[in-house]
Amino acid sequence: MHQLLRDRVNDFAFKLANVNGTGSASANGLIMQAIFRMGIPVSGKNLFPSNIQGLPTWYEIRVNREGHTARALEYDLMVAMNAQTYARDVKEVRSGGFLLYDSSWPLDSHLIRDDVNYVGVPLARMCGEHFQDSRERILMKNIAYAGSLVALLDIDMHLIEQLLEGKFSAKPSLRESNHKSVMIGYEYAKKHFDCPLPFHLAKMDGNQGKILIDGNTATALGAVYAGATVAAWYPITPATSVMDAFTRFCAKYRRDKETGANNYCIIQAEDELAAIGMVIGASWNGARAFTSTSGPGVSLMNELLGLAYYAEIPAVLVDVQRVGPSTGMPTRTQQGDLMECAYASHGDTKHILLIPADPAECFDFAVKSFDLAEKFQTPVIMLSDLDIGMNDWVVDKMAWDDSYVPDRGRVLTAEQLEQMPKYFRYSPEDENHVAARTLPGVHQKGAFFIRGSGHNKLGGYTEIPDEYQEVIDRLARKHKASAKFVPAPVIERREGAGFGVITTGGCDRAVREAMQLLANRGINANYMRIRGFPFDDPVVDFIEEHPFCFVVEQNRDAQLKSLLLLETPVAKNKLRSICVYGGFPLSANSVVDRILSQVEAK
Amino acid sequence: MPSIAKPVAKHPSLQRNKLDLTIRDYEGAMSTLCAGCGHDSITAAIVKALWKMSIEPHRIAKLSGIGCSSKTPTYFVNGAHGFNSAHGRMPSIAAGASAANRDLVYIGVSGDGDSLSIGLGQLCHAIRRNVKMVYVIENNGVYGLTKGQFSASTDIGSTSKKGDPNRMPPIDPVTMALSIGATFVARSFSGDKDQLVPVLEAAVAHRGFALIDVISPCVTFNDHKGSTKSYLASRQSMVRPIETDFVPPAEEILAQIGTNGVTSVTMHDGSVLRFTAVPKDYDPTDRGKVSAYLRERAAAGEVVTGLLYVDESQPDMHEMSQTVATPLVNVPYSKLCPGSGALSKLLDQFR
Amino acid sequence: MIAQGKYTESYLLNRKSNVFPGILGRTCDRPCEPACRRTRVEEKPVAICRLKRVAADLKGEYKQFLPTAPETKNGKRVALIGAGPASLTVANDLMPLGYSVTLFEKQDKPGGLMRSNIPSFRLPESVLQEECDDILEMGVDVRYNSPVTSMRDLLGQGYDAVFVGTGAPRGKDLDIPGRHDTDRIHIGIDWLESVAFGHIDKIGEKVLIIGVGNTAMDCCRTSRRLGGNDIKVMARRPRAYFKASPWELEDAEEEQVEIVINHAPKRFVIEDGRLVGMEFERLEWDAKARNSRVLETVILPCEDVILAIGQENAFPWIEREIGIEFDKWDMPKVDETTFESTRPGVFFGGDSAFGPKNIIWAVEHGHQAAISIHNHCMGVPVTSRPPQGLNIVSQKMGLSEWSYHNDYNPSKRQKMVHVDLTERFQKLNIEVELGFDPEQTAREVQRCLNCDIQTVFTAKRCIECDACIDICPVQCLTITRNGGEEDLRGRLSAPAINLTQALYVSDALPQTSRIMAKDEDVCVHCGLCAERCPTAAWDMQKSDVLIPFAGISVCTNSYATV
Repeated sequence: MHQLLRDRVNDFAFKLANVNGTGSASANGLIMQAIFRMGIPVSGKNLFPSNIQGLPTWYEIRVNREGHTARALEYDLMVAMNAQTYARDVKEVRSGGFLLYDSSWPLDSHLIRDDVNYVGVPLARMCGEHFQDSRERILMKNIAYAGSLVALLDIDMHLIEQLLEGKFSAKPSLRESNHKSVMIGYEYAKKHFDCPLPFHLAKMDGNQGKILIDGNTATALGAVYAGATVAAWYPITPATSVMDAFTRFCAKYRRDKETGANNYCIIQAEDELAAIGMVIGASWNGARAFTSTSGPGVSLMNELLGLAYYAEIPAVLVDVQRVGPSTGMPTRTQQGDLMECAYASHGDTKHILLIPADPAECFDFAVKSFDLAEKFQTPVIMLSDLDIGMNDWVVDKMAWDDSYVPDRGRVLTAEQLEQMPKYFRYSPEDENHVAARTLPGVHQKGAFFIRGSGHNKLGGYTEIPDEYQEVIDRLARKHKASAKFVPAPVIERREGAGFGVITTGGCDRAVREAMQLLANRGINANYMRIRGFPFDDPVVDFIEEHPFCFVVEQNRDAQLKSLLLLETPVAKNKLRSICVYGGFPLSANSVVDRILSQVEAK
Repeated sequence: MPSIAKPVAKHPSLQRNKLDLTIRDYEGAMSTLCAGCGHDSITAAIVKALWKMSIEPHRIAKLSGIGCSSKTPTYFVNGAHGFNSAHGRMPSIAAGASAANRDLVYIGVSGDGDSLSIGLGQLCHAIRRNVKMVYVIENNGVYGLTKGQFSASTDIGSTSKKGDPNRMPPIDPVTMALSIGATFVARSFSGDKDQLVPVLEAAVAHRGFALIDVISPCVTFNDHKGSTKSYLASRQSMVRPIETDFVPPAEEILAQIGTNGVTSVTMHDGSVLRFTAVPKDYDPTDRGKVSAYLRERAAAGEVVTGLLYVDESQPDMHEMSQTVATPLVNVPYSKLCPGSGALSKLLDQFR
Repeated sequence: MIAQGKYTESYLLNRKSNVFPGILGRTCDRPCEPACRRTRVEEKPVAICRLKRVAADLKGEYKQFLPTAPETKNGKRVALIGAGPASLTVANDLMPLGYSVTLFEKQDKPGGLMRSNIPSFRLPESVLQEECDDILEMGVDVRYNSPVTSMRDLLGQGYDAVFVGTGAPRGKDLDIPGRHDTDRIHIGIDWLESVAFGHIDKIGEKVLIIGVGNTAMDCCRTSRRLGGNDIKVMARRPRAYFKASPWELEDAEEEQVEIVINHAPKRFVIEDGRLVGMEFERLEWDAKARNSRVLETVILPCEDVILAIGQENAFPWIEREIGIEFDKWDMPKVDETTFESTRPGVFFGGDSAFGPKNIIWAVEHGHQAAISIHNHCMGVPVTSRPPQGLNIVSQKMGLSEWSYHNDYNPSKRQKMVHVDLTERFQKLNIEVELGFDPEQTAREVQRCLNCDIQTVFTAKRCIECDACIDICPVQCLTITRNGGEEDLRGRLSAPAINLTQALYVSDALPQTSRIMAKDEDVCVHCGLCAERCPTAAWDMQKSDVLIPFAGISVCTNSYATV
């Protein structure tokens, strides 16, 4: 056994290679959740295919007592449950690591590495002996390897039982067979291997006040708390689970107790064109409405986003980004929609973007999106991504301030309209260059014709250059004014920082870990995470105070860097790109390596 | 564009509706369409129907897409909110608007390009969703605003102004709507307000999505010899086998008198449709028979007009969604937010 | 033309038929305004009368455009008796034709009742004089201070024609107890004349005016200026039955004159030979003011009484045996078309023809009499009247452009500014009405519904698109199946309720054989039907009515000389 691995407690990563559609997700989730409940900082990344059944899928779990839970690139343990990917999986185990495989059938000799310890468990054979139904056998094989992991990693068996209890409380027979499978794997491992492995778990108290949640669920919850009543959507990976969760929560919290009627309306649209159309229609009428989609959907929504921008109708769009261009890789993560969303639609358009880094911020920013959309009467796009949206993250348990009052922006009441001599839609403007809007059905004096065609500040149709410009220029000022209201950047300074590192969204944890690793080597840098667009002064100040800054982001074309150069006065040579965009969540090592290559070369 | 706004002078014998409003109170801005455009007549019919039904102007929401037809909501009911949206997207805007506020009267105006080409998908799905709204297709068989291209409703053999014939088969919104489950299907003619006005009233009273295909000649690009949608050709090919009277709820008792040979349908709001002069075996509530009849008459070269099919038994979008009776925009926030306690309790499950 | 600021041109055009735009623009009884179709869409007609005044006030140099008499005369001599509006009109029409016209006037200035009976605060003397001079300066031989005392003598002087325009100069008296016991009871028109010619310049503080015609209004307002401060106009009947124009009543009341209704004069109260009051019976009338009963009698104190209860003609100077026949009311028999008396060559016009009417009728009489006189002198039968002409021209200039102002102005009738009350009473001749300013003028002109512009329909062009029907703001138009008039009237877009207005019904329309019906009643001639007509089946055409004058078969109204 490799000495390096000995007695590494709560600091390792392992990867589970599965075939999708076999129920591995529940086994992996079980392990993940059990580790979380042991109080150990943990993250789970689901690397799944764009497919329903039969293709390779991986799940990576990293535990780190320091709290670094970005994706690790080296695996101490590979749970190789997919024969199709054995070759690749074997390669990924770090030297001295372990590989757990189904020894019902021997491994090919070419898969044997000298520097890897092989742990063979005859899962299929054992499950075959215990379960009759063939479908059940496959499912239970997954639970069985979980049982082996309980033994190998020293997972608290009591917690596993508790979780199974909770999960199958209504289905005793399933609980029974799951329990049986866990014990099969557990006992085999206990009996045949030296448990636990040199790297293993030990209970700690790292998850006090924390929860394990995915971003899409948190986003949906935010929409519920913001008071969204209309949601329209078209199914798309990785955004679908936003609406799944919203539907679930609405059914739970929004059903009238007396009548059983719904205080919400969720429409599964025929496409994204219609979905955003419905959101705009509902928002025009005064409802808080939103849609969730991903890049391809945003492309389709461009048309009507321009309408909402120009006609000044609030709209909330959650873009759970995936890999583009085109269909791209639907189940892989990226930050490739930044530019598209910032300027979505033809003509001069600019939108407000909110960029959360984790599920907790998804919740907060979802609420904020509705407030800003109504305050500024414009579309607000929340840029999540697949990693944040679909993976379980350990985050602080979100709290709700019951004194919250939705910011509905400038909306005139019937009484206010009654007292006005005459109402005009786009004039007069307030200090944020927003004019009061009226809602249909409220008062005849508020009636006007909203349009995506050229209009003047009174709301009338125009083709006159000056009148057109007067409105479009105000829209630019309005957008600029919103910079003060989007979430401010998160800035962390270190003693003796020689440069800055800028990033956004889901890169946060990997970049912060990377900066710790660099600091460990004596390279100190300041950190800024951008959370919204348009950029406010602190963003510019941060860049200006450093000789140069790295901009770390997950897309090929350095979209965040480009946006910074376009929308701030900073010099081009101030910003250096670090782009990691293959589709898997960012890991600290990728960042460290690239910064080192540039900083040392200097 | 006319030289002046419509004079405010009124005829002294102008009638007033239940809201004490005259028909002039339901007018909009001056039309900028070509003189003689069928769309303007449809606008006038809409004005009349809404006035007759005594709908408060500000409780009306007017929606449209893009095209000549879609300009028209500006030309009726100045006191109503209007939304001139994007090409082919009005059905989704309307569905969203309706989702937010189920209490307004939604009048959508579209054209054959807006509805049968770029917006065909949205139209179909609005029909399927049974969004409660009046959806008027001002069908002139031509792209007017881009100067005379064939549209998806141009008949085979109908010629352009230059004389080139169209060779692709048309999409007939009426038979299409019937085939995908529409609950109110009518066809009319811009030049026939006697028929169009009661059809519009019935459409407003309908429980769900009311589709009215209105042949509306384009005087500038499609009123020539060779066009099948000119004023003259339309008048020659159109037949009115069914006459429909719309009887508002209050007058119901009166309408019961002498109903021999009359097919009556009671609408969701209590008003009654009375079908007279109905051909033998024609049942405006029998989807199959109506479709068969339309196919048969189309084969004979006839364009059948009237309120052709109505089904008041089907739930609309809100009924299907079991939405509260209160418009969602009026549901107070306190009823929408579960509060901090519920959140804490919920999140404890995420451990 | 007024709207375009062409005041001189419009003055000259108006003058052709009206002769006295400046005078009539201030004093006319406005028979035209009740006919104004503006009243069909709102309360008040266009201020036609006052717009004429505006043109007169604001006109520029115009004398050079006035008609002139030719140097060479035609050898015919015409005598006119009385220099009032009728005679002056005859002179105006005949002078340019070469007639030698002699005008006999009993006073020393021209104008007749326009001068004697209309107070100068309504009609400034300068305006009156100017318009009279415009006629007289063509070379009329005026004999002032020359009352004609014998028609026989005049006829003996060999005139080819004689025109009597002496008006109705005798004010009616009121013979009730006390009438002749004081000198403080005045006959209205005589009193006004005395004021006009400076013979009277004051009156008592308490004045009663008997009668509620326009003369009564002039009397009370004149009294107000000569020292009266408690002036009552006494009427027998309720207000709806007054003869005075409503605006004259308003003007009087504005000057704090009290109008007392339902009081019938009973006697004058004379104490110590001094008029101290007048007794009235207070009446209560039935619904239509036909029968009354006396409620009580009241005595109203007064220092002067002015009787303004009507006027009569008087022709003591016309001998009854010279071929001019008189009827049983002792009025000359006058032909209503030719204005000729039973003696050929003798014509009557103005109030002297058919009793008291008003100035504008006198002018019309003058025009017609001039035609007759011209015929008479030229050997043409006086019954041969020249025909009226009609000129119709399309007004279409472009797709949506018309050569007339087609927009409807919803403004209410403009209110003319009056001189402040205290100021106006300081002098008798301060004109009360100040006229319209140019902005008011433009607004008032635009209230005109352009009745000269007609909608003209060509059935064979119609494609029955309904565009005209849909656009019509006043629901004038209907396409429907034909039927009897009564049936049709009920089936129109808006029922045609004004039965005096004929319906227009077109020929059968080409596509459906239905007809286009138009109810002209409230058409505002906005031209939108024609603008929205894709086939030009509707057109807006201007109809010029061409009015004949003596010696001019038809006169073109388009004024081309300026």
